[in-house]
Amino acid sequence: MQALPQHVIEIDQAILEFINRGIDHTDEAMFNQLALTIFALQYQTSGLYRKFCERRGKIPETIACWEEIPAIPTDVFKTAQLSLFPELAQRTFMTSGTSNPDEKGVVAYDRGGLKLMDATIRVAAGEFLFPDRVNPRLLILAPSPESAPHMIMVYGMNRLIEYFGRSDSRFLVGPEGFKIQDLIHALEHCEQENIPAAICGGSFGFVNFFDHCKKIGRTFRLPPGSRCLDAGGFKGRSRELDREEFLECCGTYLGIAAAWCVNLLGMTETASQFYDNCLLNLFRGRPISRIKINPPWTRTLVVNPDTLEPLPKGETGLLRHVDLANRGHVCAIQTDDMGRLMGDGFEIDGRAGSGEAKGCALTIDELTRLQEDG
Amino acid sequence: MQSMDVNGYYLPPGFREKISAFTVEQIGSKETQVRLKVPLVTRAFVEVLADYLKKQREAYLAELPLKKIIQVLDTASRLWLDPAYPPRQLALKTIPAVTGFSPEVVAASIDVEMESSLAEDIWRALEDEIINPLYLDDFYYSKQLGGFRRAFGPELLVSFFSENIPALPHLLFMRSALVKSACLGKVASGEPTFAPLYLKTIEDIDPRMAECMSVLYWRGGEKGVEDAAFNQADAVILFGGVEACNSLIERIPRRIRILVHGHKLGFGAIGKNRLKIDGIDGLAKAVAYDHAMFDQQACLAPHVYYVESGGEVSPEAFAQKVADAMDDIQTQMPRGLIHPGEASAINQLRAKYEMQELKGKDVRMWVSAGGTEWTVIYEKDPRIFRPSPLKRFVRIWEVEDIFHILPTLKPLGPFLQNAAVDLADEREKDFMGRLGDIGLTRITAPGNMPKPSMMWHHDGISPLAALLRWCDIEKKASVAGLGPLIKENEK
Repeated sequence: MQALPQHVIEIDQAILEFINRGIDHTDEAMFNQLALTIFALQYQTSGLYRKFCERRGKIPETIACWEEIPAIPTDVFKTAQLSLFPELAQRTFMTSGTSNPDEKGVVAYDRGGLKLMDATIRVAAGEFLFPDRVNPRLLILAPSPESAPHMIMVYGMNRLIEYFGRSDSRFLVGPEGFKIQDLIHALEHCEQENIPAAICGGSFGFVNFFDHCKKIGRTFRLPPGSRCLDAGGFKGRSRELDREEFLECCGTYLGIAAAWCVNLLGMTETASQFYDNCLLNLFRGRPISRIKINPPWTRTLVVNPDTLEPLPKGETGLLRHVDLANRGHVCAIQTDDMGRLMGDGFEIDGRAGSGEAKGCALTIDELTRLQEDG
Repeated sequence: MQSMDVNGYYLPPGFREKISAFTVEQIGSKETQVRLKVPLVTRAFVEVLADYLKKQREAYLAELPLKKIIQVLDTASRLWLDPAYPPRQLALKTIPAVTGFSPEVVAASIDVEMESSLAEDIWRALEDEIINPLYLDDFYYSKQLGGFRRAFGPELLVSFFSENIPALPHLLFMRSALVKSACLGKVASGEPTFAPLYLKTIEDIDPRMAECMSVLYWRGGEKGVEDAAFNQADAVILFGGVEACNSLIERIPRRIRILVHGHKLGFGAIGKNRLKIDGIDGLAKAVAYDHAMFDQQACLAPHVYYVESGGEVSPEAFAQKVADAMDDIQTQMPRGLIHPGEASAINQLRAKYEMQELKGKDVRMWVSAGGTEWTVIYEKDPRIFRPSPLKRFVRIWEVEDIFHILPTLKPLGPFLQNAAVDLADEREKDFMGRLGDIGLTRITAPGNMPKPSMMWHHDGISPLAALLRWCDIEKKASVAGLGPLIKENEK
């Protein structure tokens, strides 16, 4: 198999070293230098991205800071190939295509890119999810990597098992659906043997489990050190709960306190993930708060949804992430998520969506729903 | 931040003293806060009000000659067309504050609605639908029937105005007055300020007619109140999303007549023989206007314009002209505020098109400087219909043969409403016939999409005739009907 060019391997090495420095530094100068190096590589390698940047007059020679790197909107991945070395792809991840199943965003990862993603998972999860360095039983509310090779969340969960989990960790969604009985048995086992459980998966999976527990009148009291990691929204696959209700359910049905429930923002288009800081704060004796933290190899900007120009800190707008681990495609990603910058990170409100369009014209969402019904 | 106090209700003059409990709802955009004063509406309130409206109708409107009713409505329209009319000036402040539309769009919208609501239009619409409008006044002889007939409107018409096409609710009060029906309208938080102002105009012209009309506001989903309104009604007219309307319809008693105007799609089609260099700028302006009016949010607005290749001007060059025209309109009639989700959707879609363009595909894009004010996309017809994100997002889709668009549009039949057609050759008649076949209810020329006449069969129905109950007197001197029966018995 062809190998990555030497200069790319060297860039990857530098990024890797930066990630491995952990989360307790804010080396702005180094971040900026690496971001601009990666931008130059992406500009030179992807003809499409180069033209996109040239139109905006943002080229490596003219920009001096990472904030200026042209961001690619997430929907673009549905129709354009932006990976730098698609012929070297080791893994290809796809978005869920909730709004239009025919259009899924695709991101291909080369060997070096995968290594970067692995490093971000190891370092970030080690701090934000397992700051106590326990060795829990991971119970994953998601399909196995064999059955869902294109789901980036499944890939990430598998890395969590590899880096942090006991050997009896397992995936709990099979071809027949959510193996709810297996989860109940596993939780009983953890209760009886005093093994900390880490339940990880899609937020809607948790809610469906809570609803089941309520129906059968079952609650668990998991041993100390047990925790939850939930990611993604509900996407019409369960009831919608707000964060407080969700945390209350974690307490009621699993016996897990709010500070031990960590929400994760992960996207197919970014190699890095953003964790709640609640558990880390607990271990560091800081006041408990709940915002998403930017690990040092990422930055987040909030931009005006209309003009896409950056907004002052604290104002609400669209989130734009710059992720050094995205060396393999584009590091600046313009999302459709609304939120605001806070502290060392940000808060997320959810998808901007197409909003509450007013008027009597049929909208995209409405037509999609009606055609599905028909 | 600005703030503004407005009334979101209209109560008949004689009913007002009965009401003392009001509440204030906060509505409006981030930029302007609007405090909407509304009466506290309960089930009992709606029942008492409905009863009052019906009694007032019986005492006055039911016997009011049509000629007089039309005079009142015509006077109201003319007042609203006068730029100096104070209620109009007030509406040009309140409607933009609540909806985010620019005052220019609102002014144009009021003009469009009122220009088509003058006496002549009303008489024509009535003649069109019921042949002899005087059937509404009394029994008149019908040659076809060979006897006398009269048309009766509902005692009480209840209408839920949804969404916020500025100045549209007046149409409901016009229709109800013409069929001599009392009318109770429920405004939506999207735009609750116009209807009360319009009814005040009616009150100033003919207070007794206004006694038969009312506007209330309550939050959607107040089932007790809604059921009370439905139970008192003889006819219900709903505007809004298909799903929202369906959930309301389920709760309306079966005896009640229901007319529904759900969300719809429009489009345009221009043939190659129309794409002459001479006159192309005017055509581009017309197409731009169809998109700009109501910021493309009306059901009448186009989601796409299909343009045939092979003419003097190529579809791509035409798209460029439309982009120029959109830019001009932005200065004359700026687009209103935009919800973050809508802006994000436009920016995401623009980027997808831009990538296609950069890849060298047959796509071109023109955009407003700065934000998402307007977008013009030129591309080959993708042969699959996807709605536009609206808010002045124009798509010009090139087709080799304009008839090729029909198979793509046919499955959308129930949602199709309005098409602008200009083929400028002998195929046009056949083409329009085919559009009728697949479900269109209005075909017009580019530049006229937002301006239907009073004569239009709104969504394919006769909006006035559909409200009527006829009484035909088939009483002849002979006993012809009994003849065979008598003979049968005698055998």
